[in-house]
Amino acid sequence: MSSSAVEPDSPDLVCQLDSVQGMVDALTSVRWKRHQCPKIFDDTPLEVKLRFYKDAVVELSEHGIVLIVEDTGCLQAKVYLQRELFVSYEYNAQGRPRFGVSLGLFVDCLNTFSVPGRSSTIEFQYPGPDMQLLLKSVDSLDACIYAEIRTRIPDTISWDYNFEPAGSTPLSFTVKHLHKVDPFDQVSYKKKEKKKSLIVDVLRLNIAPCPKSSALKEAIDDLEWPGSSIQIILQPVPPSVTFRGEGHGDLQIDFMYYVNTDLLIAFNCDRRVAYRYKYKFLRATTSNIPSSVIKDNRGSKLTIGLGGMLKVQHLVSLARPSHPHIDSAGYQQPSRIAYIEFFVKPEVDEDTGNGS
Amino acid sequence: MKFKAFLTDNGVNLLEKRFLPALEKMGKICHLYLTREHAIFLHNLLNGDGIQSIAQFRKEALFDDYRISSQNDDRIAFAIDLSLLQRALRSIIAVYTEFSASHSGGAGGQPSNRLQIKLVKKLPPHSQQPMPFLTFESKGYKSAVIQDVPISKPLSRSDVLELQAALDMAQDMPRTLVQVPDMNQLQNFVDRMKHVGDLINVSISKYGDLHLQISTTLITLGAEFRKLVRIGEQADMPTGDQNLSAQSRTDRAIQRGDAMTVQVSVKHFFKSLQCHLVKPDCAFYGIAVEGVCLTVIFQFFIPGTRQTDKSISLHCRLPVLDPGSS
Repeated sequence: MSSSAVEPDSPDLVCQLDSVQGMVDALTSVRWKRHQCPKIFDDTPLEVKLRFYKDAVVELSEHGIVLIVEDTGCLQAKVYLQRELFVSYEYNAQGRPRFGVSLGLFVDCLNTFSVPGRSSTIEFQYPGPDMQLLLKSVDSLDACIYAEIRTRIPDTISWDYNFEPAGSTPLSFTVKHLHKVDPFDQVSYKKKEKKKSLIVDVLRLNIAPCPKSSALKEAIDDLEWPGSSIQIILQPVPPSVTFRGEGHGDLQIDFMYYVNTDLLIAFNCDRRVAYRYKYKFLRATTSNIPSSVIKDNRGSKLTIGLGGMLKVQHLVSLARPSHPHIDSAGYQQPSRIAYIEFFVKPEVDEDTGNGS
Repeated sequence: MKFKAFLTDNGVNLLEKRFLPALEKMGKICHLYLTREHAIFLHNLLNGDGIQSIAQFRKEALFDDYRISSQNDDRIAFAIDLSLLQRALRSIIAVYTEFSASHSGGAGGQPSNRLQIKLVKKLPPHSQQPMPFLTFESKGYKSAVIQDVPISKPLSRSDVLELQAALDMAQDMPRTLVQVPDMNQLQNFVDRMKHVGDLINVSISKYGDLHLQISTTLITLGAEFRKLVRIGEQADMPTGDQNLSAQSRTDRAIQRGDAMTVQVSVKHFFKSLQCHLVKPDCAFYGIAVEGVCLTVIFQFFIPGTRQTDKSISLHCRLPVLDPGSS
């Protein structure tokens, strides 16, 4: 009886959001390469520009908006913005409309709508008369910000990131971003540096606590030194997670589960597994975590699935800035969270020691 | 050619805390033009393409005991590096205030410490050629501190005349000016906006609307501020225009001759907003007659009043990149 054909002119989606900064944070965390979005020059030919901006696919549905970013078939990130996050969400489409949009441009544009210290409500509409994504601020009559972003027909997703559990028990651990600092038993670092013919063993027991950064991010940043490929080892006895980099030197970082439960807040592992991941992809999963996520300190969950596929999950709060007490009281509204997932393919490696 | 004066406390404050930090954002090098009545900092008046800024002080606003003489109608102009000037002033102030503070509790004596500024020619180290300097001097309790800021050779008579002519040219007033509602917020906004493009269209209407827009083939991003305070020519918006989109409202106002649009560089526009470092009491944007430039005028009140302080003035002229429609 009710069909979308009744109103052929109504757009697929009109929705309003009152936490623009939260959305900027969520999208920023999957914007891992700044150079994906070089500055636009007006005399650059359009085709060249479109090649520059080949980055995100947006999928609309009655459940919300999903934004997908990919890199060379080995890394994919998804941001889930559920419809509950929006003040209003009018969805009129059949099927799931998809469009391509420059992530860099989209984030830069959204950022313009977010005025510090003021909650601003923004309205999204897709499509506009020329298939654009339309944005406008709606909270003031005498000042209005608006934008029209050109969209593209999206590329097909190059491979399917079907994430399947590796067995009956999940292989996963959750790292808190901020934690109490105990100088001796937190994270252990073993560093071996090859200097000419000498091998120097360096043992560092602690990382300098940085209240603004996250333990996981710091560990991954530190692994930049040894080289291009990082091995992640989960083992039940003793329950621990090891990041090991081997290159022009070795660096091993151990997160021990029982030693500091404030750092690893969850750990599930019933057998030893080890997989290698390209450093640059691993780094992409944490390099742009916005500070609001670290402050919220909900932790990041890492899961190893079938075939060594790594899933990294972050939660971004989209609470309005005017209600900071919600978080301080420990009460977290589930409907005000955006989910971010990264999927990293392991490197093909015969010698991983994962049994047969 | 002689110039010698004493900087007043108010003058020190105006320059060090407000004007020099803002003017430095306009460009490192500027002309300092001294006349019998005024000291004027000028950016890009002699070379055409950058943003022009004109900060003019009546001599009483900065100095007392102001003495100037030259064969060119007592006018002196030279180029100076603002960051050096600021550093010299900062360091001399540190000594000066320390000395003043240690003497303020004294038995009501005349403060003997004063901050002198003068033009000198000196032989720099390892050089045979005397060079011109703007020198700051403060006599402390036990010591005297001197800071020499190197300056260009004073401008020739014809260059000074050219500078004066350019200054006279830059005094034209736009027909309609609109007041910026919140300078800080607008600066914040344009700071974010400048990531998506290099050119910005600025439209100003007699209805009191300010419409900013960056438009490229990939994105159009704009902001419209309405019902702003106006100075100069005004008109009432036709009732039908209230519910239009910002773009069509602007287009119609331009067709009616009630608005003008110019295109300027986003970088220049942002620089003009950074001028709020001088802490003006208000700022107005207007488009000069025939759209030759976008003008921003800053207004200063006599402290504690709503009366314009005529001893200080600052305005900028942004070069127009495309004459636009007017």
